[in-house]
Amino acid sequence: MSQADARWRPTGALGRAIVIAAVAVSGALLAGEPALVVLAVPFVACATLGLLHRPSRVPQLSSQLDHASLHEGQGTTSRLTVTDADDAEQLTRSFGRPPYVAMRPHDGQVGALLSGPDGPAPVVEISPRRWGRRFLGEEKVALMAPWAGYRFGPVALGGQQMRVLPTMAPYDSRADAPHPVGLVGAHRSQRPGSGTELAGIRPFAPGDRLRRVNWRVSLRSRELHVVSTRAEEDTGVLLVVDALADHGAGGGVDRAASSLDLSVRAASAIAEHHVRAGDRVALRVVGRGRELVGYGTGSRHLRRLQHTLAGVRPGEIAESEAGVLQLGVTGGTVVILLSPMLAESIGAVAATLTRRGVPVLVVDTLPADVRPGVAEGTDPELAALAWRMRSLERTAVLQRLGGLGCPVVAWRGPGTVDDVLRRLARRAAQPRVVAR
Amino acid sequence: MNGLVSAIAGLSRSQLVLRALIVLGPVVAVLAAGPAGRWPSWWLVAATLGLAGGFAAFPESPFGAAVLLLVLAWWTAGLDDGLHPAVLVTAAAVVVTHLAAILASYGPPEMPVDPALVWLWVRRGALVLLGVPVVWGLALVLRGEPEQPGIWVVGVAAGLVATVAAAVALTAGQPGED
Repeated sequence: MSQADARWRPTGALGRAIVIAAVAVSGALLAGEPALVVLAVPFVACATLGLLHRPSRVPQLSSQLDHASLHEGQGTTSRLTVTDADDAEQLTRSFGRPPYVAMRPHDGQVGALLSGPDGPAPVVEISPRRWGRRFLGEEKVALMAPWAGYRFGPVALGGQQMRVLPTMAPYDSRADAPHPVGLVGAHRSQRPGSGTELAGIRPFAPGDRLRRVNWRVSLRSRELHVVSTRAEEDTGVLLVVDALADHGAGGGVDRAASSLDLSVRAASAIAEHHVRAGDRVALRVVGRGRELVGYGTGSRHLRRLQHTLAGVRPGEIAESEAGVLQLGVTGGTVVILLSPMLAESIGAVAATLTRRGVPVLVVDTLPADVRPGVAEGTDPELAALAWRMRSLERTAVLQRLGGLGCPVVAWRGPGTVDDVLRRLARRAAQPRVVAR
Repeated sequence: MNGLVSAIAGLSRSQLVLRALIVLGPVVAVLAAGPAGRWPSWWLVAATLGLAGGFAAFPESPFGAAVLLLVLAWWTAGLDDGLHPAVLVTAAAVVVTHLAAILASYGPPEMPVDPALVWLWVRRGALVLLGVPVVWGLALVLRGEPEQPGIWVVGVAAGLVATVAAAVALTAGQPGED
């Protein structure tokens, strides 16, 4: 019932009291049975008092959430504003049960006596437990008149569509990027420049700044020497999220995670770290939605990345587009590929980029205890055999990638990619032959 | 059967207590006729139990009026002396049933009942039950008195007027209605 259609209606309790009172009194009169009058007395009182408290004003209801945007695991409060409720005695709020949304108290089923005509209604705390598109705050509200004679509603109050952002993992990598090529940033570059990281001490050359002169060495060698430093530059990070399928059951932020849960949360954590470090971060989702966010930096860009990640939905790419993936990777970019590595195209793109000399890091997001979803009517033994074969193929792909020099790490939360990025940075400093 | 079990399992503890009172109240009201001189037959108890079960499942449904009317019918037809003190027990039982159904109908079955609301209705129940012993005592006093001429006509007229007034009040336009 919408608010426009809502009105005070007699309750079943009032109807029952009136029927019992009327029948009992009539029966007593017709049958000459005074016991019926004795039994009718409470119902006459209830019916009379219910009718006497017939409401005359139409209450106005509106609800709103305290927050417009949330990360999974965070909470907000749904507040109900009630006006013109002088005739109401009690208020009930009953929330729907959208998936991956926790509510308290009592799972969003709460009722309380109103303390005054515009008195505060009971509040409900709502917490989305999983990233994604969620509809929060949809509820039904009913008001009851004194003596339960009349009920207003239940009135359906619309909720709020919200993109619940992935959780903010406390991720802080100290590893350098393999190929920093930007102008400014926090990564130690291979070329000399005006940074803070010591590169060496060399004889003075025209153009050197006087504040760079190392007087101690100059006095000792009787020749001017200056301190040379390495430039500090930013880097480009391309996050590739494999959303071709979701393996495993995602139960929410404090429960088991599916492969897409791990991918999205890891991508969010890595993006947050690199954006805060001043790097340019781009996002490419390989899946049905084909979401793409270009390179950028700053908190607004991070918000855009997280919003895009929150909208990721698993699904295959259309048949016509399922060829070799073109990620548009340019020089100086680090590609971080977050995938359960069960799709052939993802393994192929990782191998191709590695052969081209692009630093690629594969973050394996397949949960350890994942089991295949078996369609009804499928022989379980056949399904288990197919899954074993698929797992073997996957292991072979990961080994081949390792052989090509593409590191593969399982996501273990903060610190997962530190060591690998350090090794990639060290390797980038060495001369090597790449296939083009 | 599984649906019934899962529905009961979904009830909050306070709702479970209320539903139990709704089932037990009419049964106690019918069985209270035993000390008054006539025990009800098993089928009557079974019928009462069935209707009370329906009432407990759907507190806003006509099951409530049906089961309470069955109790009234039993007290009218089954007993020679309807003013036996056991009628007070029956009155209390039907009022408890009625009030438990009111409390159960305040929200969805999963919603626990607000203790303040329970306490409010306990006081209200006590208030409406106050009239029962008064009327019962009055009926006992007047039982031997000769009938006044026209008393039944006046009674029926009063009942009709009350019914019409209630019907008008229930069907009159509500606030917010065009």
